[in-house]
Amino acid sequence: MDWVVPQGRFVAVVGPSGVGKSTFLRVLAGIEKPAEGRVEYGCPGMATCGPRQIQPRIGMVFQNLRLVVNDTLVRNVMCGRLGRYSTWRTAFGFPRSDRREALEILRRVGLGPRAHAWVAETSGGEQQRAALARALFQEPGALLADEPISQLDPASAHMALSLIKDEAHRRGITVLCVLHDGAMVAKYADYVLHLEPGGEGAWRVREMKQAQEGTISTPLLEGAAVRA
Amino acid sequence: MKEESGPPAMPDQPEPPWHSRINVMSVTLVAFLAAVAFSLPGIHGSGRDIDYLGNLLRFLSRFFPPDLSVLPMTLSNLLETVRIAVVATAAAILISIPLAVAGARNISPFWLVVTTRMLLNGVRTVPSLIWALFAVAIVGANPMAGVIALTFYSIAYLGKFFADAFESLDSEVAQGMRAIGAGALQAVQFGFWPTAKPLVWSHSLWMLEYNIRSAAIIGIVGAGGIGVQLYGYADSRSWDKFATVLICILVVVTVLDFTGEAIRRRITRKVTKPIAAE
Repeated sequence: MDWVVPQGRFVAVVGPSGVGKSTFLRVLAGIEKPAEGRVEYGCPGMATCGPRQIQPRIGMVFQNLRLVVNDTLVRNVMCGRLGRYSTWRTAFGFPRSDRREALEILRRVGLGPRAHAWVAETSGGEQQRAALARALFQEPGALLADEPISQLDPASAHMALSLIKDEAHRRGITVLCVLHDGAMVAKYADYVLHLEPGGEGAWRVREMKQAQEGTISTPLLEGAAVRA
Repeated sequence: MKEESGPPAMPDQPEPPWHSRINVMSVTLVAFLAAVAFSLPGIHGSGRDIDYLGNLLRFLSRFFPPDLSVLPMTLSNLLETVRIAVVATAAAILISIPLAVAGARNISPFWLVVTTRMLLNGVRTVPSLIWALFAVAIVGANPMAGVIALTFYSIAYLGKFFADAFESLDSEVAQGMRAIGAGALQAVQFGFWPTAKPLVWSHSLWMLEYNIRSAAIIGIVGAGGIGVQLYGYADSRSWDKFATVLICILVVVTVLDFTGEAIRRRITRKVTKPIAAE
């Protein structure tokens, strides 16, 4: 596959269960190596580079969230910026300003009053929103979200997706988001990346199309080019 | 938490064969029963006709009334015992955490895990009283010997407990942090340690309780603390003084048991609660 995503756009990744949507995101994030080919990102100062070199700029919302259960929501959110700081800088905690910003972003996902609750004491939906808050707090260049609304009620889901889209357009974050709900895809996605089984456990892109016509005019600034 | 009811049992599913009931558990039970049957004939008294009950009552009556004149000395020895246990536990925690990291299968390479686990098993086979004998032979009959003995003994236990605790933890959280650019130490500090911490504290607290009990015993071979005093009274058959010491130990250990249990329940409560999203 070979395609480009303009910066700051919302791409919905859809396809049947087990087709490899999660694996696709993991490959993009550099957690797994692609079976063949390579992943390249447009990087400032360089032509292209692999996901490993720009990991602090790639935000992830994992399907299983991967929050620290035995800690508060706000401290979990602050961990989103670990990649920015040296080990010494964070040895005794995060900068004070980070804490304020983390509380602010939790407020925006509707978790303001729950910011100091322990993850183990929160509901699945709250945890999912906290994971999203952590990824947004990271201020990534690309956000890879694996079913970030699977546990949210419709109102929270709309709030979460419009927040993601809003942040994407405002800060120029390229979003790749695995979604199942067709209505949500139609409402929020700029592009739809449709994966289908390609035989022998592989997948291929059936189509990559603009969800709504006439919305794309930004030039390619920082895109993800995938060759596989 | 999802509740999935499995598919209904197939009506024409065949009965499992009889030998499927032979598993580790049933075989162990049979082996244990056989071992009991084998051991019972080996247990017998002196063969003389002794009035056991009368003997017991006569012996216990020498404990009362406890001789409280030795109370001040007992308390100061008890303090020494607690000090030995505290220092030994602290030293053991510091030494066993790196050992546990080396012995955790999900963290360290296989050869290191095997080596560390074998080393810990070896140390654990030696009882604390034997360690105390060694320590007294080397540094003399003093509290230092007690600290050395209990430290070695505790390392073997804490090393194993911590390693098992680390293995039980989900390292995915830390891996996720690595994926967004966190350094290895940062991932451990923020992704691993918060969940490991309650288990580490809980095991350490248990070890402290255990060491206070052990510290009372190892004094028998001269390794300082209240055991020295206890052994002296038993040797001279001053059972009334012995009773005072025993009561003091009983009080301290009981209080410690209850507080330790209460604290441990509080700190592990948040970990044991299952995470809602899976």
